[in-house]
Amino acid sequence: MLFVELVAQGLVQGSIYALIALGLTLVYGLLRILHVAHAAFFTLGGYVGVMVANQTGSLAAAIVAAMIVAGIGGILMFRLCYQPILHQPPFVPLIASIGLYIAAEELFRIIFGPSGLSYKYEFLQGQVLLFGMLRFKQAEIAVMLGSAAIIGVLSLLQTRTRIGVACQATVSDPQMAESFGISLRRVGDINFFVGSALAAFAGVMVSVLNNLVEPTMGSVPSYKGLAIIVLGGLGSVRGTLAAALVLGVVESFGTIYLGHLLDRNAIAFAFLILVLMWRPQGLFART
Amino acid sequence: MKHKRLAIAVTTAFALQFGAPAWAQVKIGINVPLTGFAAADGKSALDGAKLAVADANAKGGINGEKIELVIYDDQASPKEAAPAATKLIEKDKVVAGVSGSYSASTRAAAPLFQAAKVPYVVAYSIHPDVTLAGDYVFRTATMGEVQGRAGARLASDLGKKKVVLITLKNDFGQALAAGFKEAAPKFGVTIINEYEYSMPDRQFGALISKVKSDNPELLYASGYYFTAGPLVNQLRAAGVAVPIIGQEGYDSEKFIEIAGAASEGTLVTTSLDRDSASPVTQAFLKEYRAAYNSGADMVAASTYTATSIAIDGLKKTGGKGGEALKKAIESGSFSTPIGMITFNDLHEVKKDIQVQVVKGKAFRRHSVISDPVLLAPPTKAK
Repeated sequence: MLFVELVAQGLVQGSIYALIALGLTLVYGLLRILHVAHAAFFTLGGYVGVMVANQTGSLAAAIVAAMIVAGIGGILMFRLCYQPILHQPPFVPLIASIGLYIAAEELFRIIFGPSGLSYKYEFLQGQVLLFGMLRFKQAEIAVMLGSAAIIGVLSLLQTRTRIGVACQATVSDPQMAESFGISLRRVGDINFFVGSALAAFAGVMVSVLNNLVEPTMGSVPSYKGLAIIVLGGLGSVRGTLAAALVLGVVESFGTIYLGHLLDRNAIAFAFLILVLMWRPQGLFART
Repeated sequence: MKHKRLAIAVTTAFALQFGAPAWAQVKIGINVPLTGFAAADGKSALDGAKLAVADANAKGGINGEKIELVIYDDQASPKEAAPAATKLIEKDKVVAGVSGSYSASTRAAAPLFQAAKVPYVVAYSIHPDVTLAGDYVFRTATMGEVQGRAGARLASDLGKKKVVLITLKNDFGQALAAGFKEAAPKFGVTIINEYEYSMPDRQFGALISKVKSDNPELLYASGYYFTAGPLVNQLRAAGVAVPIIGQEGYDSEKFIEIAGAASEGTLVTTSLDRDSASPVTQAFLKEYRAAYNSGADMVAASTYTATSIAIDGLKKTGGKGGEALKKAIESGSFSTPIGMITFNDLHEVKKDIQVQVVKGKAFRRHSVISDPVLLAPPTKAK
């Protein structure tokens, strides 16, 4: 009983991680950049979501607005910040990315104030009883179903549409793809838009779960996302999804049974180190 | 003769003008977290301190001199607090310091104020080491262990014997848990389990599943409003209906906003009694609302108190700092928004613990724990 509940809670947490880490994988696959500033779009999503929801009273409008704003923000960050320094060694964009994240966090604090925002209306706060024993918040169910649906649609698009195939081709061999007339910039735009929009969706859902959006809410996802994509085998979308869910469940049990020794984030990294000792290429590496 | 008088007048005028900066203002320094994770408490703290200074300046300052508040951001971090304290002491030459910050940063700053013999009044840090820095350090907050003991007493007063502890893994949470565990056996309260979480945690799904299986009669959960708000919200959503006791860290309107309807009935051991009959408290609450258009919280009230104690001390010494000010503060008794304050030989405060309960989306008085033996702060002897 407790076991099942802990697994379920782990999956809720894991789907949030999956949404965040997917964008990181897309960017890493394409540009080989560890995109720390990705977590800024998670926070941005939370802020846009809470403001639109409080204005309109509609969570759906909030989610759509958050995803669009963050998606456009992602494209801008790609064009203005990353593209000019892509020819530099990989640590240059990495450092730029860390700087961008810190700047974003302070910007949120300056614009929205340090104490965070909450929803004026109650969204998805009711309880759901599954199989007569598992009690969830509606928002938790929505996170799981929402991420499964979004990720499913994305993978369909990736395999069934021309642009999806172009993205995949670019990721596996950028130069070859370019010689076939695929615009790297366009593929970059799409990856940043989709990745940032997914992070924003996660941001809105987490802010609904916690009823709180704060400037620092991206700080844990910023580095845990990196752990997940390493765990999943860098650049592998399927690996990232699996790693996110596995990590969610590991943390869920870890906080209960190891919580007095290690905190949640330490557990995640200890797990990462253990896995890398056993499989240095990550759980689901492509090669 | 006339010339001589004029000469004297001119000389005096010049002397006043040029001499002026030396005594024009009395400087009080404050370290507060204005950026980083504690920035929200930092803002409350600074608002409280500024209000205390504005009040005193409106009443003529100190011997007619204006009080100036010199502010440094310490990000609630020791590595920022130490240079901030050094700047306040060496560069700004403040006559008194106030800590509007957390324990970690205050512990780093306190020895520097001690070494420079600049009295340092600490508003709401609760770690025992703070006042152990020396006799120039004063604290207006009730120490963590003492508050924890009050929590155990409150659990027993509510008739609850089986308790689960949810502890924030920092010096604040651990001090509270230590106090609770120390006093629990005296009241026949059993701790059936303890869980720890860390500062960035906002999602407690797994922990709550486990708490449910423990089936406690009461939860004693430490945290700040930004962790406690989501925690209480998620506990209630998961169907955990037992009473929850929180502490000073919950004491903010933001807690009620974040936890929403789930906050109703949450008990908090704190130092600010919104329903106090004291005119000082009521005047403070009213002024604070007028100045900032929001309700004062424990952090604001405590930092107002710490700042006004420094100011009252300076009034007695005529603006002189150092040993004179230290003596004025240690021998004084101060009427403040968080009650009448006197210091013991370790410069810890002796006062009752206020229990507030969330009722109708506001903190109201629940009870007062008045037990001088249980709530005795440590003294120099031990």
